[in-house]
Amino acid sequence: MSSPFDQVLIQSDVEQLEQADLSLLETLDHVLNRGLVIAGEITIAVADIDLIFLGLNVLLSSVETANEVLRKRE
Amino acid sequence: MKLYVYCLAAKIDALAAPVIGISGAAVDLVDVEDFSLLVSEFDGDSAPAVTRENVLAHDAVVRSVLNESTPLPFRFGTVQTEPQLRSYITTHKKALEAKLDAVRGCVEMSVKIISNNTDLDTTAEPAEQGPGVTFLKEKQRELLGSERRVQEAKQVAAWLEEQVGSFARQEEISLCPTEKLIVAAAHLIVREQVTKYRDRLASARNLRPELHFLVSGPWPPYTFSNIELEFKTRFGVS
Repeated sequence: MSSPFDQVLIQSDVEQLEQADLSLLETLDHVLNRGLVIAGEITIAVADIDLIFLGLNVLLSSVETANEVLRKRE
Repeated sequence: MKLYVYCLAAKIDALAAPVIGISGAAVDLVDVEDFSLLVSEFDGDSAPAVTRENVLAHDAVVRSVLNESTPLPFRFGTVQTEPQLRSYITTHKKALEAKLDAVRGCVEMSVKIISNNTDLDTTAEPAEQGPGVTFLKEKQRELLGSERRVQEAKQVAAWLEEQVGSFARQEEISLCPTEKLIVAAAHLIVREQVTKYRDRLASARNLRPELHFLVSGPWPPYTFSNIELEFKTRFGVS
């Protein structure tokens, strides 16, 4: 399973990420990709575009999600 | 009216202070069986949008009870009607009690490790090789590099286990989860041991200057909260 933290790490040099960015990425990683899941389907949207799909017990998040949140931080 | 669900905890009499959740909604307690759930009213038909504000609000609500209790956080986007929520809790009561027992008094610490080792075979091949040979040589280098990386990840994970494994009540380790990360570890640590765990980890880091460590926490036990769904356990699907 891919996490926003992992995805952004692929694209960025970790040395260039600020501590605040890392904290936010870690929060994203925990809140979006982990935790108790109630069986069912949940579609989470960013800017009206479905980017995250939860099929039964598996939630996939995308790099767009992480980037979107990081952009909004700026 | 639907409820956005943040976390489940052992019975709580009242929130210590007013808490604001997703979309600025007030957070309430809903008691089901022997549990308290932190929820807020939610108007939409689908889950809330992933925004910085919503993600941080979700985490802040979960953390609001972390001082008094160890909650089981729900994953972001959990929206249920109250009857659905009560049905889920009642149906999974034993599994949820077992999970709460497992994490009681603990927090989660996260360690992500990046290797600065770029030990790949970059030896230039003779120019006279044909495209087929060049292609196969490149594939060979990729495979050998990937195998070396997996071996390094296994070695680093074992080393990390030696260093701090004794502090962890539970741990979850991922090897080579990404191109850059070679190890991602989550440790469930008894609260009173967190300082010792951090000190031990700090000492260990000094032993491996070739590795880059990203350590965060304490977190609510996000990684250790999910329960195996009955159909998954029985039928092996998720």
